[in-house]
Amino acid sequence: MLLFVSNVRRLGHTLHTDGRCWIIGLAIETEKLSKIYTHDANGQPVGLIDLSLVVEEGQIFGLLGPNGSGKTTTLKLLLGLIFPTAGRGQVFGQPLGSNTYKQRIGFLPEGPYFYEHLNGVELLQFYGSLFGMGGSALSARIEELLKLVGMWDRRFIRVRDYSRGMRQRIGVAQALINDPDLLFLDELTSGLDPIGVVDMHHLLTDLRDMGKTLFVCSHLLKDMEPLCDRVIILNRGKECRTGTVDELLRVADQVRLVLSNWSDELKTRLATSAADCEVADKQLICHFQDQSQALAAATIAVEAGAVIEDLGARRRTLEEVFIEAVGGEEPCDQSSE
Amino acid sequence: MRPIFRVARATFHEAWRRRFLNGILIFAILIIGSSWAFAYLQPGAELQMVIDIGLGSIRFFGMLIAVFLGTRLVPDEIELRTIHTILAKPVSRAQFLFGKYLGGVGTLAANMLLMGAAFYVVFAIKAPQFLAEKPEDAMIVAAMYSNIAKAILLTFFEVFLILGIAVVAATLFSWVLSVIFTFVFYFVGHMSDFFQQLSDPERGASKIAQIVMGALYRILPHFEIFDIREAILMGTYTPWSVMFKTIGEGVAYLVVVLLIGYLVFNEREV
Repeated sequence: MLLFVSNVRRLGHTLHTDGRCWIIGLAIETEKLSKIYTHDANGQPVGLIDLSLVVEEGQIFGLLGPNGSGKTTTLKLLLGLIFPTAGRGQVFGQPLGSNTYKQRIGFLPEGPYFYEHLNGVELLQFYGSLFGMGGSALSARIEELLKLVGMWDRRFIRVRDYSRGMRQRIGVAQALINDPDLLFLDELTSGLDPIGVVDMHHLLTDLRDMGKTLFVCSHLLKDMEPLCDRVIILNRGKECRTGTVDELLRVADQVRLVLSNWSDELKTRLATSAADCEVADKQLICHFQDQSQALAAATIAVEAGAVIEDLGARRRTLEEVFIEAVGGEEPCDQSSE
Repeated sequence: MRPIFRVARATFHEAWRRRFLNGILIFAILIIGSSWAFAYLQPGAELQMVIDIGLGSIRFFGMLIAVFLGTRLVPDEIELRTIHTILAKPVSRAQFLFGKYLGGVGTLAANMLLMGAAFYVVFAIKAPQFLAEKPEDAMIVAAMYSNIAKAILLTFFEVFLILGIAVVAATLFSWVLSVIFTFVFYFVGHMSDFFQQLSDPERGASKIAQIVMGALYRILPHFEIFDIREAILMGTYTPWSVMFKTIGEGVAYLVVVLLIGYLVFNEREV
């Protein structure tokens, strides 16, 4: 409860009490949510352990981790398909598994499976009818979605004859059938060709611009880096890193200077004050421990005729953060947080 | 209610694509059709032979379809993961389970109707031949037409109950175990009178036998009450009061079975 209240204060949202309480403005909130399946040979629990997360409405939230890290378990818990062994969670202020919030969500599982005997239109009619949709409104929605995911010309093909990419596309359409406020997407770009991947990225940003909340599970870090507002990295069921993408990628107190038109002499001079210098794509990239060192180096570089391409906080790639977080023998290298 | 019927409808359409069940149906219709030929093996009792084989086949093959359909309805959804996208929608587990059952009932009813129609065709061909030889039995044959309809109606409810037991067994056990469980339940359910006799103190039953066998008699469904073939063969009239009582017992048992299924499935992880 303390966590819930502190989040209300932090986010400036309203706490309502009418016997129960919920938080307006939060799409998902979990508090020490756990699902222990078994214990390994060392007596360590296997599953999801003490996951506490907050997803604000309108965010793209990335749940990242290697295979078996607990991503799908988290999704299943949030959807009420499995039950927690400890902790609790809420989606739109409703307890996990409640039918009330399911009116407002969409779900795309990894490698989605559907009734094989249905074609694209019939499949969407089936899922739409589960929301009580019907008639011309449903038909119009189906046409809109099939065109959106590029399946309109193939709408009468039966699911059994679908390629993996087509299943993924129709899976996205069924997840959007009810115009959900919150979308759970498990490995969204799995099975898609490069054009399909780009299409889906555009779709994600369009959905975010429309105010939708997106909860995306993926191990494709390069895809997630430009899309996510906030991420959690899981490893062996435990939370390793959490924060905004900017927070995770920034290296504390280090400044990066990127130069073009540089000389070997300049490189030698800068290397004396820089933490490290490297050459990539004909550019000289130097990292400095503090801002004053970086500014002094920039002045020297300009005087030497070099061109400053970038000067700012040092950033890593999400892949580097991920490898650092999950690379160790221990489930999580908590010391580096 | 709408999600129940949507799930039921999808289940019905999907069930017709199960080749194994289609094979059972085709084989059943062939057996019922061939009862016309088997009847010649018993001169003088051809009509009885047709009724015995026909109604017996409808019951037996209806039971087979109920077991093999019922034990696959929910496990297939879990194994193929189609259940994930359905339960992520505003569909409760109770609605899903009951929808699956209802879809199974629809499939089973359609199968039974086809078998019943095949049987009526054979009977309608054979009855006039029988009457030409024994015109004095016209009243008995006339009663047979309505009694056969009643027998098929009771068989409907019998297989619906078996389907319910199969669906619930499949939420509790693996597929093989649920098939075995349902068959055992069915065959033991036909022996409920036997358990009553074993619990009878006038027949020398011990205290323990009275408790154990008495409990078995009360717990197990009484499948034999759904079988009125003997009454049909004897030409006796089966009153509607008996029909309603039998159907009522079956429905009450089914409600309890489905309630147990719901309680189990509500806690099951998918």
